Amino acid sequence: MTTPTSTRALTWQRRARALRTGWRSFRAQRGAVAGLAVLLTIVALAVLAPVLTDESQLGIINTMSNPALAPPSGEFWLGTDENGRSVLLLTWWGARVSLLVGLAATLLSVFIGTFVGIVSAHFGGWLSAVLLRFTDFFLVLPSLVLAIALSTVLSRGVGTIVLAIGLTAWPTTARLVRAQTLTVQARPYIERSTALGAGHGHLIAKHILPGVLPLVFANTTLAVASAVIAESTLSFLGLGDPTQISWGSMLKFAMDSGAVTNGAWWYLLPPGLGIVCVVLSFTLCGRGLETVLNPRLRGR
Amino acid sequence: MTTHEQDGADTTPRPPLLDMRQVTVDYQSRRGTVPAVRGVDLTVDAGQTLGLAGESGCGKSTLAMSVLRLLPRSAHLGGDILLDGENVREMSWGRLRAVRWASASVVFQGAMHALNPVRPIGEQIAEPLRLHRATTTPAAVRTRVNELLDQVELPVARSTAYPHELSGGQRQRVMIAMALACSPRLIIADEPTTALDVIVQAQVLDLLSRLVTERQLGLLMISHDLSVLAACCQRLAVMYQGRIVEEGPSTDVVRTPTHPHSIALADAFPTVGDPASRLVTPRDTTPDTPPLLEARGVSVTFPSRGGTTTRAVSDATLAVHPDEIVALVGQSGSGKTTLARTLLGLQQPTAGEVRFDGRRLPRSARALRAYRRQAQLVLQDPTGALNPRHSVYEAVAEGLRIHRVPGDETTAVADALSQAELRPPEEFFTALPHELSGGQRQRVVIAGALALRPRLLIADEPVASLDASVRGEILALLLGLRVDLGLSTLVITHDLGLAWNIADRVIVMYQGRIVEEGTVEQVLLDPRHEYTRTLLAAVPEPLTGRAGATPAPTSPSRQEPTEDPSEVTGV
Repeated sequence: MTTPTSTRALTWQRRARALRTGWRSFRAQRGAVAGLAVLLTIVALAVLAPVLTDESQLGIINTMSNPALAPPSGEFWLGTDENGRSVLLLTWWGARVSLLVGLAATLLSVFIGTFVGIVSAHFGGWLSAVLLRFTDFFLVLPSLVLAIALSTVLSRGVGTIVLAIGLTAWPTTARLVRAQTLTVQARPYIERSTALGAGHGHLIAKHILPGVLPLVFANTTLAVASAVIAESTLSFLGLGDPTQISWGSMLKFAMDSGAVTNGAWWYLLPPGLGIVCVVLSFTLCGRGLETVLNPRLRGR
Repeated sequence: MTTHEQDGADTTPRPPLLDMRQVTVDYQSRRGTVPAVRGVDLTVDAGQTLGLAGESGCGKSTLAMSVLRLLPRSAHLGGDILLDGENVREMSWGRLRAVRWASASVVFQGAMHALNPVRPIGEQIAEPLRLHRATTTPAAVRTRVNELLDQVELPVARSTAYPHELSGGQRQRVMIAMALACSPRLIIADEPTTALDVIVQAQVLDLLSRLVTERQLGLLMISHDLSVLAACCQRLAVMYQGRIVEEGPSTDVVRTPTHPHSIALADAFPTVGDPASRLVTPRDTTPDTPPLLEARGVSVTFPSRGGTTTRAVSDATLAVHPDEIVALVGQSGSGKTTLARTLLGLQQPTAGEVRFDGRRLPRSARALRAYRRQAQLVLQDPTGALNPRHSVYEAVAEGLRIHRVPGDETTAVADALSQAELRPPEEFFTALPHELSGGQRQRVVIAGALALRPRLLIADEPVASLDASVRGEILALLLGLRVDLGLSTLVITHDLGLAWNIADRVIVMYQGRIVEEGTVEQVLLDPRHEYTRTLLAAVPEPLTGRAGATPAPTSPSRQEPTEDPSEVTGV
């Protein structure tokens, strides 16, 4: 080992090395790599949608001349909806809203959950008791009903859906983070740090948060999957933004327009498969991350 | 599944109970084949006790588990293991299941983890009975469980207790009862007393020795502590890097070890009263300087279930003077760790006061922070005391950063590491705790404390979780720090040998009270309090009888010839 010119630089070198080893063990899992590949493709397509496709074709006015509920053909690869719009185009654009809502809602819920979890575990006492009862309250509340209630009370829009999902999904994260914080907190190095004179800020920033974060990351990828489903459910129930197309709202329109009774499978299948793909790849990535971060799961 | 093997067969020329011939165990890992055991020959006969000594990682536990093929899948077993003349390696899966527990059983290390926390202990003792003797009636099982509890001297009423309701010693007894359940002829005890304190350890060792003589069992006992093995075993084998480096009658191995590793092991456990293992020059009186740290009538009570309170420390008064090493001795549960935490301000006393440098310890977090630069803590388990994600540099610099100590951080860290004898310090900067040995980790913890240039070190069992050979080095380091830096140290320990090694004064604690205090020579050679005598008598002493101490309750294991303590080679 060379003489350390800067310990900080060496620390970063070590972190980069740890990242590389982590990536290597992630890559060793076929499922996780496949999930990541599918996910990156979907995200890239969703982001590039305005460049690659003609947005005007989403407007009903421009599609009047097209056949309604036409089966897949050379012109419309996935057929058309009741207004003659291309189902392929709808699915493509629907991915944007589904992913956006899924990610934003997850970030919100993970942030609240991590904060509540760490604070209640670290400080204990009455604060912990209050926060825990609060968490329990949200945990036993049927989250779908709460989300429905929230999205009816608030103005309709993507923001409302994000808020509704985010505010109902955090208790599980909070419980998880709390449990992990409690185990990290019982480690002797916390006591050593306290004896060295560390305050709450130092303990949380240097010891607890780094110990909890890996779990939070793994949990986040898994939570995105359920947030995507929740978004579809809310949109399907007609609580989403009516001006935005999402996979959930596509399914709702398909139901409303009688696509099911007409046997228009091409209208139902793409958004459904889209949801399955996104959820599955997020779950695969999440499991892969979990394995990387928890070496004990390796080889099982 | 039935086996009546242990009752029937009584042929005259019996092969040895356990015969190991050129046993090898290799672990397959991603980095290739790692040999754990490299060609071991051992025999144990009925009524015989064989002690297997060695440091962590020498392969002793792997060897013990290979007897019943309880090894992980990645292990490859070579050589021959004959159990009652039958080769374990060639046994079919069904035969192996029948042999496990019925012919040979294991007393596992760490009774807390080896017992199922959600089932009463009576049920757990009955489990092997139900598995191996499917025909026995529930009533017969109950009778047998009661019989077993009686044998290990546990009250029968405790059979409905859950593991967490029992003390460490009682749990270990349950493990022994489980091992005896199917009347095996061979018992393998893997570090059966490691987590126990001296008094309980003596009881468990007595129990094992008694069972061996009464029931003509073969016992293979594994430990890193040579004195424990010598107290309980007729023969000793010392294992080092997968090989048996020395084997012979216990007294010979302990008294005249030939292999350098056995010598190190034998030296690591000092004999109280032996001047050669006393590393400090005795002082006759307590220094008349004003005390650095003082506790006056400190009591600590904890609220417990049902509205009552538990008194962990009551009315403790003690003093640590500058340039002095004081040992606070007591068995587990005596309140010594609580007292140490109170002295550091990690726990508030319910009554009394702690004074440092003549001033009363503040209660506010901010004022305590200043105190914590002066008094530092060294924890028992260095592996747990270091954050696995922090490099050595970060761990040592942590205190400096918390207190925003001015000056060059790198130099301060390097200095602290060299003081803790990690040289050259630069080589350790980027190392992570798992890349270091146990002794090096403890040095890092000590360096982290030294970086703040404290005046007092409180060390809670600083060597209890370290290997025998490292123990001496860490103790020498603590002594050296006093000489070089004038550092006062309060060592909290259950190990009287440690107190004898390095302390100037000893304070004995029993059930939350300080029962005896004085210089090491006074307290350990001429104990006045009954409890100190019991504590001294419980120390396993393979070779010596001690002047002034009352002997332990009579046991077959301890009827060793009395020898002159000065015969033992010192450190």
